[in-house]
This record gives sequence, structure tokens and C-alpha cells, in this order.
Amino acid sequence: MTPIWSGLSIGAVYALVAIGYTVVYIAYTTFNFAHAQLMMLAIFVSYWGFVVADLPVVLVFAIAAVGVGLVALIEEFIAIRPVKGAHAHLVTTLGMATLLDGVTRLIWGDQVLKVPPVGSDATLTLLGGRVGAVELVLIISVVAIGGLLTLYSRRSLTGLALLAMAEDRDAALLRGINVKFLALGAFVFTGVLAGLTGPLVGPKTFAVATLGAALALKGFVAVAIGGFGSLPGAVIGGFVVGLVESLSGRWLGSAYPTIMVFVVLLLILMLKPAGLFGKTKERVV
Amino acid sequence: MAVFRLLRSVPSWTLPVVLAVLLIAAPYLGIGNSTQRLLLLTCILSLVTSGLSLSFGYAGELALGQTAMYATGAYLAGYLAMNWVNDVLLLVAISAVAALVVGLISGVPGLRLGGWSLAMTSFFLVLLVPQFLDLLEKYTGGAVGMVGIPGPRIFGEKLTSTGFYLLVAVITVGWFAIMRNLITSRHGIAFQVLRQSPVLASSLGISVYRLKLTAYAVGAIPAGIAGALYAYVDKYLSPHSFGFTLAVTVLAAVILGGAKSIYGPLIGAAVMQYGPLRSSDFEQYSQVIYGIFLIVAGTLVANGLAGLVSNALRKLENRFAPPPPVLAVDDDSARTARLTGLPALAGVKLEVQDLKKNFGGLQALGGVSLVAEAGQITALIGPNGSGKTTLLNMVCGYYQTDHGTISLGEHNITGLPTYQVARAGVARTFQTPLFPEDITVHEAVAAGSYLAPYVGMPSSILRLPQYRKAVAQANQQVDQVLQMLGLEHLGGVEAASLPLGTRRLLEVARALVAKPRVVLLDEVASGLDEEEIERLAEIIRAIRDSGATVILVEHNFRLVLNLADTIRVLAQGELIASGTPAEIENHPRVLTEYLGIRQEAKP
Repeated sequence: MTPIWSGLSIGAVYALVAIGYTVVYIAYTTFNFAHAQLMMLAIFVSYWGFVVADLPVVLVFAIAAVGVGLVALIEEFIAIRPVKGAHAHLVTTLGMATLLDGVTRLIWGDQVLKVPPVGSDATLTLLGGRVGAVELVLIISVVAIGGLLTLYSRRSLTGLALLAMAEDRDAALLRGINVKFLALGAFVFTGVLAGLTGPLVGPKTFAVATLGAALALKGFVAVAIGGFGSLPGAVIGGFVVGLVESLSGRWLGSAYPTIMVFVVLLLILMLKPAGLFGKTKERVV
Repeated sequence: MAVFRLLRSVPSWTLPVVLAVLLIAAPYLGIGNSTQRLLLLTCILSLVTSGLSLSFGYAGELALGQTAMYATGAYLAGYLAMNWVNDVLLLVAISAVAALVVGLISGVPGLRLGGWSLAMTSFFLVLLVPQFLDLLEKYTGGAVGMVGIPGPRIFGEKLTSTGFYLLVAVITVGWFAIMRNLITSRHGIAFQVLRQSPVLASSLGISVYRLKLTAYAVGAIPAGIAGALYAYVDKYLSPHSFGFTLAVTVLAAVILGGAKSIYGPLIGAAVMQYGPLRSSDFEQYSQVIYGIFLIVAGTLVANGLAGLVSNALRKLENRFAPPPPVLAVDDDSARTARLTGLPALAGVKLEVQDLKKNFGGLQALGGVSLVAEAGQITALIGPNGSGKTTLLNMVCGYYQTDHGTISLGEHNITGLPTYQVARAGVARTFQTPLFPEDITVHEAVAAGSYLAPYVGMPSSILRLPQYRKAVAQANQQVDQVLQMLGLEHLGGVEAASLPLGTRRLLEVARALVAKPRVVLLDEVASGLDEEEIERLAEIIRAIRDSGATVILVEHNFRLVLNLADTIRVLAQGELIASGTPAEIENHPRVLTEYLGIRQEAKP
């Protein structure tokens, strides 16, 4: 059971990254390759808040949320807004990711920094496996965030407007939806969400400048497994990746996690090419 | 203006040839060692990049596997040079083949799945490179790297550094010449069609899967060659050279240079090699600079640098040579051509039996049977949503058939993929005309004859007589069909920029050059003006008279009554009436269901 808990908790991190990708995908039909770097930035900010500046917990959350939200805002203005099309965004957001990697390295260096857990660092025994209290909080929060966002996107007017936008931007524009503003809001929201969850994720992943690249990749696989544009898919995809990694590492050996994740991805794509929750369109002409 | 004309009259390959000569002659033009090395690395990077541009820019499949093929080529060449035989040319050839094999193996699963799958699987392939290198540590040196690769030799002769540079430059020039010939051949047009509309490609008889796999696999060849050459550059290979960074660099180079351009990759590779890749001089800031560079470059050049150049050229051209009027005056010669110009078409009976189709809970077709005879126009009418287009799409193989059979003469085509239906002789037009951007009317129509006759890639690249003959034949046919439609003066205009009515006529032209046995016309008259409808009607009659089976889906009731030999009426997925125009015109159910005329209740 212990590997399952640890798989779920690292999976929760991947799921968070995948949620970030998905929200941006819904709002812009494009990918923000720098989202994992936003997450990494949040983790570094919480390291700084807890360890260097020794600030109260609430303040750390607030600073991370506002700070990373601001970075997301800047990114929208310099890397997303001026260019059109997923291919061009591929280059600009990749540029943003590299830039954030570089800045992080300049400020905090290359060492692995330990982020202290929020609240207690107790370890519980649950269902026959050991799991840290922070990890448990992380798992529960991710499920809750995924659930709330799904509910929000289906029930609230703003959420529906976002979905309409994902379906057909021009049509949404004609229906009087302020597409640009709404999309910007969604983008900044992903930054704020990364900021808010950073202090929870930090103790699990540590703060290290290569974290962005690693998370980006796994988050992307999570999205591919869950299906592009599906929030529940992103959450479940994240957990699947985490579990596969943790279980294959436990039972097959340390060389296997990446290969097994690849195998699982291939299997799922073979059975459901659009991902677990993706939709296929038959009508083409 | 005279100067501009003069410039345009110079063949388009002049500039590349001049640059190629300069590249090869560079060592004799007094460049320093470091410049020579930079040029060498640019050549190698441009080979990798060019491979990606083939699959990404032309075939429209984002694939990052080039890095893995590059690594394959490099390590294989390095190992063989140390342990077997040290001959650059031989090793280049072996590496090219090995890369092709890796391309095929990694391309098949990704492409079978479609969508973003190839991007995913090839992305993973790159990530697994270090793991494979570790696994084969005995041969590759694992994380330490491969040390002790000997200096390059060719036929036993040792190559000087200038000699090696010359070899790399010549190979690079040679590869770009191959690319140029491939892209400007009929295959290049096929790639463009494929990238912009797989739907259209398959309706022209192109197997989307096979052409994409070909593009991806052929794109592996230059990567393998580049790898073999790279092994000799530093005589040392480190797994760090083949990681994610390289994949990103190659991708950035492709997009910067312009993914859909022949020489763009060379420009992109040069920019990357001179810019970010050199910034290791100030290691600390390299990532920051690289990041800013990507953002700025990505913002400035959405279509790549090559795109900027060709846009500027087009603007100049439009300024000096305004496009011709859309519809030529319909003179007598065009009319005669229209009535007599079509070769005989071997029509075949199309038979549909008890065809059913549901979309979720919605019944689109509920058991329709009908026959369309050769040498006749069979019109299919009915209100919107009655299942007309669904029926056409099922005949073409775009939709799976839930129940029933479709046959062409004796040949059962139920469930065949679209490209095979097209190869069996079914050509069609689309409700919304499909024309890829950036290709001329002549090319767009010629795309219809991609398979008639088909010429393989090798003979196209070498411009063998077989290729020349096929092109001449296709050109003649295209000219003839365009003349019939009165559109021959538009041959050089971009097809996608024409008005709707003209594009509809072009779709008919494209269907005709494939020498179809069955022609499906989907709402071909909507959006046309009186004169164009007149012209269209004559053409449809000419197609029938030349023997083909014509199926006309149309809302213009007058046109249908004028043209059709028999009419089938669909409503809510059922066949409610069929007969001659005279019968249908007075059929009570047709009047209520379709024309909306209420029948007075009889007392």
C-alpha cells in the first residue's frame, strides 16, 4: 500500500500540471509549455518564504499565488497574445519555459532545496500503507480542485462560456462573450492555482531547477492519457502516471518507471486514441 | 518594374545554386577555423532540421524523433568506425539505413493512432535515448560517452579537416537538392494537400497513413546521415548531445526557418547555431538568453524567416502583375471545348442496399436502397438533415456503415477506407470547397491526377523520363479541363483565394482529371450566380455524356428538374419517392415534405 500512496501523491502533482495545461487548452486551444515552470516557480517561492524569509504560512500562500499569477499575466502578454496558432505558441511558450528555468537557476542555483511541509510532518498508517500527512492533503486537494473545476465549467455561466470558446472561438465572440478577457482570466487563474498549490507540492518534489522539465513531461503524458481538454481526464491521467511510476519502480526496478509509463501511454492510446475522456469526432465533411 | 520582371525570369534555383557553391568553396575564401567549424555544425544541424520539416511542415505530423535517429546514426557510425571499417561514405550509408529503420519502427504505432500520438511517441523516443545508451553501455560507453573514434577516412585515404568539411558541405547540398526535387514534384503538392486536409487527400486516393509514414521515415534519413557525420566532428560522443535540448533546438530551428519551406531549415539551423547554441560562452545566462530569443523570434516570425521572404515576394508580384479577372468571357471556343473536350469515362453502376447509419441516438439513414446507372444523372434531393450528405460520405468511406452494402458494379466497396474507394473510381466535390493554401489553381487541379498515373518518389526526385512523361500528360489534361470550364487564364492564381463559385467549378475540374467512373457532386450549385449555374449545367451534362455515373446532391429544384435523368427524394433518412423529373414534380409527398406546399385535404 505504501507505493500506492506514494504513487498517488506524486500523481497528484502531475495531475496539477495537467489541469494547468487543460485549462489553457480549453481557453486558447493551445498549449502553455511553461506551466510546469510556473509550478516550479511556486515551489521555489514557497521555499524562499518558509526557509529564507521565515514568513507565516498564510503570507507564503498569498505571495506565491500573487507572484506566480503575475508571472502568468506577463507570459500571456509577451508569449501568448502577440502570436497566433498552436505552432507559434509552441516556440514562444517553450521560450518562456527556458527563460523561467534560467531565471530560477540564476536566483537559486542548481542545488536540491528541501521545502518544509506546511503544518505537521507526521506520517500516518492508512489502509496498511504509510503516507505523510502533507501527501494526503495534497491528494485530497487535487481531487477536490479537479472536481470543483469540472463542476464550475459545467454549471456556471463563466465555465460554459469557456467551453463555448473552446468549441468555436468566433461563434463565442458573436454570442457576446468577451473572449480575450475570459481567456486572460483563465490563463492567470492557472498561474494563481500553481502558486496556491506550490507550498503543498514542494515537500514532495523538493525545489530544484530541473523540476520544470520533469513535471512538464509527466503532465503532458497525463493529458494524453486523460484526453485533451478534459478536466477529469487530467486528474485521472495524472494519478495513472504516478501509480505506474511508483509501482513499476517498486516491483520491476529503478530503470523501468519511464519505460513503463511509455508502455501504458501506448496501450491507452491503442485502445482509446483520443485518451480516456477525449471525444472523437466522426463528422468530417 | 523591368528589373523585377528580369529578376523573376531568372530560374528559381539560381540563388540556391550560388549559395551552394559559396558553401562548398568557403574554405578557399579565407574563412577562419572557428567559422569553418560553425558552418560544419550548421550543415549537420540543417540536415536533422530538414528531416523534421518534411514530416512536420509538409506532412503535418509533429514528430520529435529526429534526435533519436540522429543518435542512432552517430553511435552506430562511431562504433563501426572503431571496430569494423572506417570509411565515411559507407558509414553514412549504413547510418541512413539504420535511421530509416528506426523511423519506420517508431512511426508505425504513432501514426496508426493518428492525432497527437506521433508527437507523443516520438517525444518519448527522445527521452528514452539516454536509457538505451545506458542499457547498451558496453557498446556506447553509457553516461561517460563514446571515446576514441578515429579520424575520417574515405577509400582508405585520411581526410584533412578541410576535406571533411567539403564532404559535409557536398552531402548537405546534395540532400537539399533531393528535398527541392521532392517538394516541387507532384509529391510535394500531395504533402500540402495532406497537411491541410487529410479529408481531401483521402478523397483523391492518397493513403493518409502511408504518405505520412513515408514522410516521417524519409525524414529520418538525413538525421541518420547527420549523426554519422557528427561522430567525426569531435571524435567523441556524449549522451548529453542527444537529449531533449537538441530536440527543442531542432524544433525551434524548423519553426524559425519556416516549417513549410525547402531551404528554411538551413536558415533556421544557421540562426540557432550562431545564436543560442554559442551562448555557452556565458553559460550562466545561456538559458535566459535562449528563452528570450525563442519568445522574440517566435513572435516576429510566425511563418518562419523563409515565410517572410516569400510573402514579400508575393506582395511585390501582386503589385507589378495584378491578378487576372475571375471569370473569363464565355466565348464560343470554350463552349465547344466544354461540349466535346471530355475523354470517354468508363461509368459503372453504383448500388446501395438497405443502408443504415446512426449518430448516437440520431438516425441519419434508416435503410436506404438506390441505384445510380452509368451514363445517367441521378439527383438526390431532400430537406436539410434528410441524410443526403451522410449517404455520400458513406459511399466515400468517411463513415462506418452500420448496416447494408455499397457496391460499384460487381465490386463491393462497403467499409473500404476512403482512399481505396477513390482508387476504385469514385471522385467527389465537397459542400465547402477544400483547397490547400499557397497552391495555384493548376497545381490544385493537378492534385486530382496524383494517382493517374502514379510515379514513385525516387523517379520523381531524379526526374526520370517516366516522371516527365506523367507530368506532361497530367498538365495537358489539366489545361484541357480548365479550358472546358473557362478557367484556363487562372492557372497561376492561388486557388484558395478565389471566390466561392469559382472554387466550386475547380472542385469539379479536380474530380474530372482523376478520370472518375462515378462523380459525386455535393451541393455544387449553391453560391453560384446564374451564368455560373448555366456553365455548370453544361459541364454536368458533358460528364454524363462521356459515360460517367453522376450523382447530384442539390437544393436548386429547378436545376435538378432540368438536369436529372432520375430523382431520388430523401426525408428523415428514408427514401420517400423516386422517378423521372416529371413524376417527382407532381409527387404529393415531395410537395409537402420538401417543397412545403400543403395539399388541400380532399373532401
